[in-house]
Amino acid sequence: MSQPGKVDRQPGYVLHTQAYRETSLLVDVLTRDHGRLVLVARGARRPKAELRGVLLPFHPLLLAWFGKGEVRTLHSADWQGGLPQLSGRPLLCGFYFNELLMRLTAREDPLPALYPLYGEALQGLAGAADLGSVVRRFEMGLVRALGYSPLLSQDAAGRPIEPARHYFCRPGEAPDADAPPAAVRGVWLSGATLQALADDDYTLASTQREARSLTRLLLAELLDGTPLMTPRLLEAGAGALSLTTGWPKAADPSTE
Amino acid sequence: MKNPPSLDQLIAALKVLPGVGPKSAQRMAFHLLQRDQAGALKLARAIGQALENLQHCERCNTFSETALCNLCADASRRQDQLCVVEMPADLMTMEQAQCFEGLYFVLMGRVSPMDGIGPRDVHLDRLLNRALDGQVEEVILATNFTAEGELTANMITELLRSRGLRVSRIARGMPVGGEVEYVDLGTLAQSLYERRTLSE
Ligand SMILES: [Zn+2]
Repeated sequence: MSQPGKVDRQPGYVLHTQAYRETSLLVDVLTRDHGRLVLVARGARRPKAELRGVLLPFHPLLLAWFGKGEVRTLHSADWQGGLPQLSGRPLLCGFYFNELLMRLTAREDPLPALYPLYGEALQGLAGAADLGSVVRRFEMGLVRALGYSPLLSQDAAGRPIEPARHYFCRPGEAPDADAPPAAVRGVWLSGATLQALADDDYTLASTQREARSLTRLLLAELLDGTPLMTPRLLEAGAGALSLTTGWPKAADPSTE
Repeated sequence: MKNPPSLDQLIAALKVLPGVGPKSAQRMAFHLLQRDQAGALKLARAIGQALENLQHCERCNTFSETALCNLCADASRRQDQLCVVEMPADLMTMEQAQCFEGLYFVLMGRVSPMDGIGPRDVHLDRLLNRALDGQVEEVILATNFTAEGELTANMITELLRSRGLRVSRIARGMPVGGEVEYVDLGTLAQSLYERRTLSE
């Protein structure tokens, strides 16, 4: 087989699908070695198409495609299995991850850390693990992969991070223990939290809470003023729907 | 060489159809004008009439020419069960299956955050009012088993359960008459995850 641009047996996940022409689908996928790209799945919307039960989000697939240009042609998608269908709040978190990836990653920019990060996050959602830590770990991992995390190894003066001190954190900069108390466009985090983030350890509630204020700041900057849809799906606390507006008030999808 | 304005307007108008780009819109316009003028006139009248006569049934939200559709007006249907579907075509299919004697609510879509479609766009406020009429006891969710259909079902569940209504979901698994060897793998896997215990 020597089709141009042919890629075979590439691990990937479906992030989003949309109807295309009469019977086809446009599929945004996240792949291990080729980053995010768009594939057209010909005939995938025909009533008896086998691809219907396969091109589902939140499931590991093996993909093959060919072609050049912005949209490649899907050749095959094989079910890899291992995860039950998400439901309830884990499903909403899954949509949140997909929306982040769609908004913040460029097409065909293979960020090697992203694929395993996303796979582990989905395992976490499916495995009834503590949702807060699953979401924070994914957000921090994504921000790191995009080169936007504060440095976590030492402070702005080159000193090691001390757990008991507090540091002012800004995207891409070293934490600053000597920042003026009124410093803006950043968040104050404890040294203990910075160390936990460096170790990728989200077991403590205080780490999750402080990490949330950090990821909220970093993501808001990365999203550049256009908010995401998914976090607005549920109101904080009660989880009841707000029906007075098109979308419920802003909230965090991992909030219990 | 430019098209006359009314031809351009027709082509632009045809592009509102889903999946129709400039090329197919042009092909359709030429077909209507060149090969089937009678058909074109019929189409124009049908669109005009549909726009004028059709409304949404005030109880179930499906298309209807009267304030209350035939189904909702049928007093012999069970009033205590309400089945929620995404589209009118789903309602028709449920009716063909002859398995349900209650009433329906048609969302006219599904919640899809990635496409900017929120709870109000699928009339969850109206569904809530309908389900709280005092007669409905069970709400059966028959939205699609896509990620968006499932998300929609989750949101309706949260909305209605807190109001004391019984909420159920149609079952997912092996198709009737399906053979394990030939069923698609995702369906088979999920039917194992959702297996049920058989009573003695
Ligand atoms: Zn009706």
